[in-house]
Amino acid sequence: MLEITDLHARAAGKPILKGIDLVVRPGEVHAIMGPNGSGKSTLANALAGRPDVEVTAGDMRLVGTSLIGLAPEERAHLGLFLAFQYPVEIPGVSNMEFLKAAVDSHNKALERDELSAASFVALVREAASRLHLAPEFLRRGVNAGFSGGEKKRNEILQMLLLEPRLAVLDETDSGLDIDALRTVASGVNAFASEANAVLLITHYQRLLDHITPDFVHVLLDGRIARTGDKSLAHALEADGYARLAESGT
Amino acid sequence: MTAAELFHARVLEDGRQLRNRPLYAPWLDRGPSLAALEDVPLPEPRSYTWEYSNPNPWYERNASGSDHDGSTEGIAASRGVEVSDFDAAESRERDVIDANLNATIDRRRYPLAFVNDVLLHRGVVIEVPAGASGAEIELGPLGGDFERVLLVVGDGAEATLLERPASPAHRIVECLVGADASLRHTRLQSATDSLEYHLVSSRVSAGARYRFAQYAQGSTMRRNDIHIEAAGDGADIEIHGAWHLSGRQHLDTQINVHHSAGGGTSRQTVRGVVDDRAKAVFNGRIHIAPGAQRTDAALSAKHMLLAPAAQAYAKPELEIYANDVKCAHGATMGEIDSDALFYLRSRGIGEAIARDLLVAGFLEEALGDLHPGEARALLNVQARERLA
Repeated sequence: MLEITDLHARAAGKPILKGIDLVVRPGEVHAIMGPNGSGKSTLANALAGRPDVEVTAGDMRLVGTSLIGLAPEERAHLGLFLAFQYPVEIPGVSNMEFLKAAVDSHNKALERDELSAASFVALVREAASRLHLAPEFLRRGVNAGFSGGEKKRNEILQMLLLEPRLAVLDETDSGLDIDALRTVASGVNAFASEANAVLLITHYQRLLDHITPDFVHVLLDGRIARTGDKSLAHALEADGYARLAESGT
Repeated sequence: MTAAELFHARVLEDGRQLRNRPLYAPWLDRGPSLAALEDVPLPEPRSYTWEYSNPNPWYERNASGSDHDGSTEGIAASRGVEVSDFDAAESRERDVIDANLNATIDRRRYPLAFVNDVLLHRGVVIEVPAGASGAEIELGPLGGDFERVLLVVGDGAEATLLERPASPAHRIVECLVGADASLRHTRLQSATDSLEYHLVSSRVSAGARYRFAQYAQGSTMRRNDIHIEAAGDGADIEIHGAWHLSGRQHLDTQINVHHSAGGGTSRQTVRGVVDDRAKAVFNGRIHIAPGAQRTDAALSAKHMLLAPAAQAYAKPELEIYANDVKCAHGATMGEIDSDALFYLRSRGIGEAIARDLLVAGFLEEALGDLHPGEARALLNVQARERLA
């Protein structure tokens, strides 16, 4: 599904990723943990093609196709989805209109038939109700005035509608109360299947109480310092990243 | 002689000749305006409020005589609304015109209004009777270069005025909104290669509500002066401005909200998008006169520049002479938000569509519920499906 080899990247001109290797197969859930500044978000943004992240060496391949040099929308059409750590507010564009533009663009790129307005609305309402989002929420501007929890649920809504091959969730748990965390986690669990894969980027292990990863990777100073199963997350919670950094790889 | 002086002399000369044999609405006395014009200079390039718009091409264009397209259509009004051409006005309508024409306009401040008086090609008076509800008026091209619209909304009446695109050289729209009345006034201006100067002057009486929208593309030179007075206690004013300029279009909008009575509210929301080598000029002024206590006034003006050679000049101005007031203003200038653009593209939306969406969303903030469908079509933002 995803193969990252010796990835080096700079963000705002500064070297952040210093040789990432990672393989994610269909049906797997991977968690990437690490302290602030270790490069977690830069990795997510490098995958999605954020303009201010510059890949300086290495490769990222999604279903065999290199992402290097592809526009963000081309990566999305290949099946990549990034749930943003800080979803952007766009007040004048209604959420529904935004979702329709996103789904239409996928259908067009993949040469699928366009959905009728009625079946699209039905699809969105169904997905929204699963995430406990009121219909009113779809009429408002994209993320405009949404609470932290609403923004994150809106990201999951987009993921459910776009059905990506690989979903990268960048600190989707941050700023959520326990109920919102459960709702988000159940959305991710409902999404995860043998046909897709999930990359969870998180600072804390509490999200992993609700979504069970197959692999946990610890990112330190732009490299994967340790890989294990979910018990690694618990060990980190108990000992902290500092202990791991001291013990080396 | 400057272009302004040459034009001025021409207007005086024409005016003196017309005084003896006016062709249009001969009963109207142009004498006082002509006399006043003798000692009022016309705006020169770079005179106050004309720093970024050169009036000379407008003078030159209009010094060479005027074009009439001959049409006398252009007005549709719902039943109960009285519409009369100045030329055909009977004595009752003449009384209404005499009593109200220029009542709201400080013509020394807007001296081109004197020119309009003297050179008038076509004028209409529109009356909405007191207490009327659901009155609707639509104006199209009125067929002159110098046009005048006088709208009198009676006390407690409710009316909508929609100005469809028209490109005279000079149109003045004067609105008198009676006590406790409500007027929705939308003006649509499409892209043209003409030179235009327009003035909207409205007076809002006690307890009345006036909502005005200026939606525009640009022209070679288009200047809109908008003067709105909260003249009675508790007058409520809402102004929406949205423009989308491209090519070498030029649009200059000068809004002056004048609170002369207390307890009034005014809200101005302006969004301008400027592309290519176009130029937008905006001045938003809030004047709160002594005694206009408990006024609550706000202005938000934002411009988005889409190209390196696009220009916008925006200035909010406050003049406050009362102490118990609330007044807020903000003006910003920016480009398309790169984070928002990346967010949309990460959802598979191609860059061109993403930019269109962001431009449309930006302009949408200024539309409110004043003819938003017409505004979207005019401003060339995607026809947007209302799905939810």
